[in-house]
Amino acid sequence: MYKEKLDKILLKVQKPSRYIGGELNSIEKNPADVTMRFAFCFPDTYDIGMSHLGMKILYSLINSVPEYWCERVFMPLPDMEEQMRKNDILLYGLESLEPIKDSDFIGFTLQYELSFTNILAMLDLAGLPVFSKDRPDLTPIICAGGPCVCNAEPIADFVDLCILGEGEEVNLELMRLLEQCKKEGCTKHEFLVRAAQIEGIYVPSLYKVEYNADNTIASITPTEGAPATVRKRIIRDFDKIYYPETFVVPFSEIVHDRAVVEVLRGCIRGCRFCQAGYLYRPFREKSVDTIEKETISLCESTGYDEVSLSSLSTSDYSEIERLLDRLTSYTDGERINLALPSMRIDRFSDELLQKIKSVRKSGLTFAPEAGTQRLRDVINKNITEKNVLDSCRIAFEGGYTSVKLYFMLGLPTETLEDMDGIKDLCEKIIDLYYTIPNRPKGKSVQISVSLSTFIPKPFTPFEFEPQPTEDVIDERQKYILSIINSRKVNISWSRYPITVLEAALARGDRRLSEVIYTAWKKGCKLDGWNEYYRFDLWQEAFRECGIDMAFYVNRRREYDEIMPWSHMDILVSRDFLIRENKRAHEEVPTKNCREQCAGCGVNKCIGGNCFE
Amino acid sequence: MNNIRIFFSKTGRAVYISHLDLYRLFQRAVKRCKLPVWETQGFNPHVYITFALPLALGTEGLRESLDTRLTEELSFNEVRERLNAVLPGGIRVLDVAEPVYKNTDIEKSEYEIEISCDEAKLTEFFEQEKIITEKKTKRGIAEIDLKPVIEIAERRDGFIKMLLPSGTETNIGPNLVFDAFERFSGSEIASLKISRTDVYCKNGENFR
Repeated sequence: MYKEKLDKILLKVQKPSRYIGGELNSIEKNPADVTMRFAFCFPDTYDIGMSHLGMKILYSLINSVPEYWCERVFMPLPDMEEQMRKNDILLYGLESLEPIKDSDFIGFTLQYELSFTNILAMLDLAGLPVFSKDRPDLTPIICAGGPCVCNAEPIADFVDLCILGEGEEVNLELMRLLEQCKKEGCTKHEFLVRAAQIEGIYVPSLYKVEYNADNTIASITPTEGAPATVRKRIIRDFDKIYYPETFVVPFSEIVHDRAVVEVLRGCIRGCRFCQAGYLYRPFREKSVDTIEKETISLCESTGYDEVSLSSLSTSDYSEIERLLDRLTSYTDGERINLALPSMRIDRFSDELLQKIKSVRKSGLTFAPEAGTQRLRDVINKNITEKNVLDSCRIAFEGGYTSVKLYFMLGLPTETLEDMDGIKDLCEKIIDLYYTIPNRPKGKSVQISVSLSTFIPKPFTPFEFEPQPTEDVIDERQKYILSIINSRKVNISWSRYPITVLEAALARGDRRLSEVIYTAWKKGCKLDGWNEYYRFDLWQEAFRECGIDMAFYVNRRREYDEIMPWSHMDILVSRDFLIRENKRAHEEVPTKNCREQCAGCGVNKCIGGNCFE
Repeated sequence: MNNIRIFFSKTGRAVYISHLDLYRLFQRAVKRCKLPVWETQGFNPHVYITFALPLALGTEGLRESLDTRLTEELSFNEVRERLNAVLPGGIRVLDVAEPVYKNTDIEKSEYEIEISCDEAKLTEFFEQEKIITEKKTKRGIAEIDLKPVIEIAERRDGFIKMLLPSGTETNIGPNLVFDAFERFSGSEIASLKISRTDVYCKNGENFR
C-alpha cells in the first residue's frame, strides 16, 4: 500500500485529493475477503473520468457482489507521473492504494479514440508490458469496453479482450469465468478461448486478418471456435436494469459534479453521422417511478444540489412532461437544480422551458448541424429552420439573450451554399431577437457558433464516406469566417490535426497498433488535451510505420468492402446502413423510429417491435 | 435561530482536501443529513458555514472549527451524530457547542510536527538572531522576521511542538517556517508531518 509514499509526494502536485481516494461512498473491502479484483481504468484524468456515468454504474455493480472488488484508476497528469516514477510508485487503485498489476482484471472504458495512447501509458505506469503477447500470465487480463470497441482493431495488439455493448450483465459473467479458470489452473490462452464463447466478448488474438494488395482487407477468419461475428450485448428490460443507489462524491470539483439519472438508452432519430444513435439501439426507457426513485436516492445519498437527466435525447422520453412534473415537485422542494442537457429543438415547448428555468438558468444549446434544409435532409437531422427560430423565440421571450449553435463542417455533399445557410440562420436569429418586445433592455444578443468537423464513424450510414481533406476543411472554415462579420456571433472551430487523427483511429485496422505504439514511444499521450497534443509526432509515427493516414480517412469505401469492424455485429444490419447511405445521396430523410420502423434490424434481436 | 460552533478533526486522506473543497464537503454533508441550516439570502443562496481558520493543504487538524446557524432547535449531540453518520473518512465532528469567543479573539495556533532532517542544522536555524523570509501578502511580497513569532514549546529529536500567530491579523503557518529552513540548510526535508492541535485566544484560553 502506497499511503506513506504518497504522503511524501502529494503536496508537490496539483489538486492532490484526486490521487488519494477515500471520497464519500467510495468502497473499501478487505483484500482477504475478495476473490476477484477489477481495476476500472478511465484513460483520462480524474476530473474527466469521474464525470462519466458508465464507470459509476459498473463500479457499483461489481462492488455489489460481496466477494468482488472494483477500484477506480485514472491517468495521472505529467506532474504526478513524474513524482510516481521518481519514487517507484506503480499505477494504483484509488480504493486500496495498491498496484493494479496485481488485479485480476484491468478494464479500460474507451469513450473517444484520442484516449488510446493513454492505455499504453497507464499499462506502462502500472509496470506491465503494453503488448498482449508479452503478458503470458493468466492475470491481469486487460480488457476494454465502451463505444470505441465497436472497432477495437487499432488497439487489438494491446488488449486481451473487448466487451461489445452493455456491460451490466456480461462483466459479471466474465469475472465468474476467470474465477473458475483460476481455480482450474487454466492458461491465459485457455481462458481467452472460453471467454470468446460468451456473447459480446471479442478476443482479437483469435482472429486472423488478411489483406489485399491495395491494403484493403481480404478476410477476417476466426480461430479456435471463436464466433464469426461478435454480437453486441444489450439489456432487454431497461426499467429493471441495475442502477447505483449512490455515487462516489469527489473532494475536488470535476467537470460534471452532479447526480446523473439515465432516463433512456438508444435514440429514435437516426441522424446519419451519429454513431451513438446506432450503437445504443434499441430505444428503451425507464418508467417515471424508477427515474424518480433513482433521483431521490442519488440526491439524498450524495448531497448534490444538481441532478442531470442523461440520455442521447431526453425530450424524446415518451412521458417527458409527466416526468418533469414529478421530478420538479421533488427538486424544487429540496432546492436542487434539474439539468436537461440533451433536448431536441423540435420538442422545445414553452412549458418545458419554464421547467428548466424554474430552479436556475442554464445555457441553451441547439444543434442544427447543417446550414440548409437540403443538407439537414442529407444527414437526416429532421429539424427545420422554423423549429430553430420557434425555439429561439421561446428562449428570448423567456429572458435568454444568448444561444449556442452546433454545426458540422465537411459533411457529405456539402457546398459553400451550406456555409451561406449558417450565416443566414444566424442573421435570422439576430433579427428575431430585436422583434421581441420584452427583450432585456440594453442587452445585445449573443450567438456562439461551434463548428466541428465531420468524422465518418463506423456503424453509421456515413461509414462509407471520406472525410474531406485538410484543404477543403480549411477553405470552408475560412469562407465562413469571411462571410460572418457580426460581432453578435462568436465562432469557434475544431482543429483539423485533431479530427483527422480521430478519424484515422476510429476507422483503422489492426495495423494501426504499431503506429499507436510508435507515437506513444515518441511521447504522445493525453492526446485529447490541446496542450499535450503533438500532431507532428503522430505524423512521424505514421511515416515510420509506412502507413498512410489518408488511406483510412479520405478514401470512399465501397458498399461491399470488408471493413476492419465487419466481424462486429451491433444488431443494426449493413443492408440498412447502405440503404440509408443511398437515401442520403438522394437527399431523402427517414422518419424517426417512433413514427415508422425503418428496418434497421435491431427488432429481430429483441423478438418484436421496438414500440407498441 | 441558533449559532453553533462545530469542532472537528481533519486527518488521514482528508488532509489533501483544500479549504474551498472543505466548504463544499460540509455543505453536501448538511444536505445529506438534512440538518436545518440557515441559507444566505440573495441571488445564489447557499448554506451558511464559516470556518474559524483556514488549514494548509497537507496539514492535519485535530481541533478545527466552523460556525453555522440552525433554523430549528436541535440538541448539540444530535447535530454531531447526524453529521458523523454522513461525513467521509478523515473528517469527524468532535463536539458541538455554543460559540464563546469571536474569530477576532484568536491569537495563535499550536502545532505538533514530526520531522526528519539534520537536527543540528535545525538548531542552528532556530538560534539565528533573525529568521528573515518572504511572505506573500495582499500587497505583494513582504520580508518578515520569523524569529520573534516562533514559540517552541517542546523539542526533541524528530519532534517539535510550536506555537505560531493565527487569526484575522497575522497568520504564519509552519510551512513558511520549514520552507525557510530548507532554503537555510540548502537541502530538502526528508519527511514532515504537521498537525494543528489547538487554537488559542488573546486571553490565553482555548478557542471555544
